[in-house]
Amino acid sequence: MKWLLCIIRPERLDVVRDALNKLNVVGGVTVTPVKGCGHQRGSSTPYRGVQSRLRFVEKIRIDIVVPQEDVSRVMTLISQLAYTGNLGDGKIFTIDVKEAMRIRTGELGAAAL
Amino acid sequence: MKMISCIIRPDKLEAVASALDTLKIIGMTLTDVRGFGRQKGQTERTPEGESNLRFLSKVKLDIVMQDGDVDKVLAAIGEAARTGAVGDGKAFVIDVEGAMRIRTGEKGANAL
Repeated sequence: MKWLLCIIRPERLDVVRDALNKLNVVGGVTVTPVKGCGHQRGSSTPYRGVQSRLRFVEKIRIDIVVPQEDVSRVMTLISQLAYTGNLGDGKIFTIDVKEAMRIRTGELGAAAL
Repeated sequence: MKMISCIIRPDKLEAVASALDTLKIIGMTLTDVRGFGRQKGQTERTPEGESNLRFLSKVKLDIVMQDGDVDKVLAAIGEAARTGAVGDGKAFVIDVEGAMRIRTGEKGANAL
């Protein structure tokens, strides 16, 4: 199982969520409002060698855990829908998940997803 | 690649962000969270037997970096965030298998 940790623009959330629904491979999604910055230190105009203060910009974090074989498909989908081509589009990280449990039933592993 | 996920006091955010900036680590995600540790959120000693769980406001910082940067980032976070009092927080190191920059499709270290 792999955990996809995605940071995207807030305005792309609806479109990403709808597509994940249709794909039907994802059992569940957790969404958290966060703030963040990358190389541009939170400014939307290109860095021109001037020290600018670190600014945190509103983003949305989407956490999804999927079976290994779905990673590629889900990553491609999210990145295509979250893309605008401008600085601040976000990132997707993949992290290995050792175990998962569905609290209601106690099911473990892939059955928990 | 590794992710350092650290919980710190909210008023230490500027100091930590500054320290990371000095190390040229400038990508990070910040989340407002609430939590407690061994002291169950109590800042003063409570009589034995009383358990009064209090969730305290903290800030979580998630930073992904190259493996080789972990030690110096941990040291910088510790130094900037530490007050010595209970509630200073924790930092966890998590293995990150993949990374992608959405704007360009760059993967791996180039995504950071």
